[in-house]
Amino acid sequence: MGMTDLRARRYDRRTFLATGAGAAAALAMAKVGSPPFLDARHTPGIGTGKPRRGGTITIGTTSEIDGFLPSQSHFDATGYVYANTVYDTLTRVAANGTARPYLAQSVTPNSDLTSWTITLRPGISFHDGSPLNAEVVVANLQAIRQSALSGQAVRPWSSVQAAGDLQLVIDCDRPLVSLPVALATQIGYIVSMAQLDSNDTQHPVGTGPFKYVSWTPNDQFVVERNPAYWRSGLPYLDGITFKPIIIDTSREASLRSGTIDLMVTFDPYTFTDLRNNPNFQVVSDLGQKTGQPTMGFVCLNTTAAPLSDLTVRQALAHATNSKELVKLFGAGVTPVSSSLFPVGSPYRPAHNGYPAYDLRKAKQLVARAAPRHGGSVNVALGTVPDPRQIEIFQAIQNMWTQAGVNVTLSEVQQVTYIDNLVTGSFQAYADQQFTANDPDINYVWLSDTTASGPIALNFARNSDPQIEAALQLGRTHADPATRIEAYQTVDKLLARDIPYIWISRTVSMMGASNKVQNFANPTLPDGTKAEGFRGGAFNTSQIWLGA
Amino acid sequence: MRRYATTRLVQLVAIVFLISVLAFLLVHLLPGDPTVAILGPNDTPTARHELLAQLGLNHSLPLQYWTWLKNIVRGNLGASFLTKQTVTNAISVAAPIDLELIVVSQLMAFAVAIPLALVAARRPNKIFDRLATTSTFGLLSFPTFVVAVLLVLVFAVEFHLFPATGFVRLSQGLVGNLKSVLLPSIALAVGSVAVYFRLLRADLISTLQEDYVTMAKAKGLSTPYILVRHALRPSSFSLLAGAGISIGSLFTGAFVVEVLFQLPGIGYQLVTAINSRDYLMVQGMALVAAIAYVVINFVVDFLLTVLDPRVRHA
Repeated sequence: MGMTDLRARRYDRRTFLATGAGAAAALAMAKVGSPPFLDARHTPGIGTGKPRRGGTITIGTTSEIDGFLPSQSHFDATGYVYANTVYDTLTRVAANGTARPYLAQSVTPNSDLTSWTITLRPGISFHDGSPLNAEVVVANLQAIRQSALSGQAVRPWSSVQAAGDLQLVIDCDRPLVSLPVALATQIGYIVSMAQLDSNDTQHPVGTGPFKYVSWTPNDQFVVERNPAYWRSGLPYLDGITFKPIIIDTSREASLRSGTIDLMVTFDPYTFTDLRNNPNFQVVSDLGQKTGQPTMGFVCLNTTAAPLSDLTVRQALAHATNSKELVKLFGAGVTPVSSSLFPVGSPYRPAHNGYPAYDLRKAKQLVARAAPRHGGSVNVALGTVPDPRQIEIFQAIQNMWTQAGVNVTLSEVQQVTYIDNLVTGSFQAYADQQFTANDPDINYVWLSDTTASGPIALNFARNSDPQIEAALQLGRTHADPATRIEAYQTVDKLLARDIPYIWISRTVSMMGASNKVQNFANPTLPDGTKAEGFRGGAFNTSQIWLGA
Repeated sequence: MRRYATTRLVQLVAIVFLISVLAFLLVHLLPGDPTVAILGPNDTPTARHELLAQLGLNHSLPLQYWTWLKNIVRGNLGASFLTKQTVTNAISVAAPIDLELIVVSQLMAFAVAIPLALVAARRPNKIFDRLATTSTFGLLSFPTFVVAVLLVLVFAVEFHLFPATGFVRLSQGLVGNLKSVLLPSIALAVGSVAVYFRLLRADLISTLQEDYVTMAKAKGLSTPYILVRHALRPSSFSLLAGAGISIGSLFTGAFVVEVLFQLPGIGYQLVTAINSRDYLMVQGMALVAAIAYVVINFVVDFLLTVLDPRVRHA
């Protein structure tokens, strides 16, 4: 989901602390057992009994999207859910974190991982009846390459060519280990040639389990069952109506009143409201052992004085009491973070060297740095105008002020916020990023090659050749041990450079009425379990309605 | 009467012209560059140049305005930069929501405020009047969003009588439609009830002290008859003027209620467009909202002349 994170912040105004809390609580709930209304063997989100066909549901999403064309539109969590509903990707991620062929029958590399041959499944048709073949897939991937938005993610691709009616080859200018995983993200959704040719961002025509019926931005997106879906027997539902409900309390009230049947949330208070209610099921992505979750942090512009001064960044890291922030705003369940990777990830080193909270040391560092900045350290801290986010950042402001830093807190409209991030017109901004199934997907956000210029996707503009070397090592070597070492190095270097003040892991949740079955339990065509829910995105094809 | 109407119509056209200029210029006064919002990470010099040319943003302001005006006359308000939804389509989705919210909420407000004011004005400063005055004052102090949340908690979440969010179009069924607008309409009506009651009560008390009312009483007419037939009409000028302003401002002022109930009306769409610097959407929505405001007030002015012929000679 790497390429979507930029846009995700536009709609998801959830505090990163808040977003972590609900899922953590979900885990806590899992520990104490299922709610009393459920069968002891029933796990929320996993259907029991035989799937039933028919019926429609309404799903409340956290945001609205700006379109359905993967090469042009910005897919946030909602965008992924919509895309999963009307499109399919070339590959999909299994529950164990590996990429498996999906629209593709196979994705095979050459010996040095510089050339990947994709063979498509035969007999698949788009909703308009046109066949899925190599020509249309090549056209899709070329559109991705030409897109300034998504093209950055596929820079190592040197060519994409058809090699038969159902076969194509992607050549890369260097080994690219993560290519199969990347094909499960925004760049891997395949739309029909007609939609591609007409550049139509409003009317999706894919191969997915549901067909487009209507889309009224800010109101609803309606789909109906695709009777010719290539996965036999799927989908179970006759149709789905998606409703973007941007206010958490309104979305929760909609679920509780029966206005909607299923919802996504990042809000811990919504979770705490729902978790003990026997009428609802709650699942989260906190328990996932694979991939990388979204992390919440303060992004520091390492090229803007005084934050260009490492001593100042170290002082801010020592001054930030993440545990206290989580205690204050995360209902005591948000996982604190001090790393790019979550606890349990093989890429997370045992000790990355990230500065621990130490107010005395922070004061010393501020006193040491102040003479270099005109006698005082002044920092502009920015956040979006979300009430809870503002509360959190007022707390951070107080922490930094205690260390002797003069902090100006400002509220910035979401679009301006993103503009400022990409153009480097900020000092310290709240941020959420780094959801990915493979750490290489985050290359563009961390790379030395994207850290400068008028538009920089490495928002912190942290230019570190050692990080670049480690990232290159990770993306070009398939050996797990080498990759682990590479990304552990990246984490340690980030802890040294401090472009990010880590706060907490962000966790997303789904809440559903008990009649909604199997919403977090998809399988792949071969029957193996697929990844169910990550970063607010899920798959709708195997949801059914209980009796 | 004809002269008055002609004069007001000319004024209306002039005001609408000014509104169109302001709506056009409004976007240019917004902070930041709309091309940055549109292009995002795609913001290369080439892409920016192409976008500027495509949108006509590299032309002079008068030329941009003239082109924009010509397109409006043809019914073409452009399309959203982000979603590609045409502004006309967005307005056709949003306007019915606002119209229905306004009609239902104002009918509710009048239905409560007028009888209340009639009874209260009959015996000023007595127990009912004091109770009604205090209650409506209390209603004024309740922010709309608090009322909205309470209504949802009680009637949607607790009793499942109404949907918590969303709008059901009239074409999808009358019952569903009314259920979807009832709670937001009540939330909007609460503030109006208080204002309308206070305006009408004050004027009624004043009117009831007029000689012709004393005469009516002396003739033995019943109090309800006097209140409704003789006092209400001359006491409703302030109420009508207040209603004009209130109804007009609801076109965009219902934003909070629209967000809480997820009703994509004009206010909701306008604020969403402003936040995302959706250039043409802001222009179109602002234009429609402002024209609606002016037209409603024009109609109210006209009604005032019907109620009181002295107005047209003023």
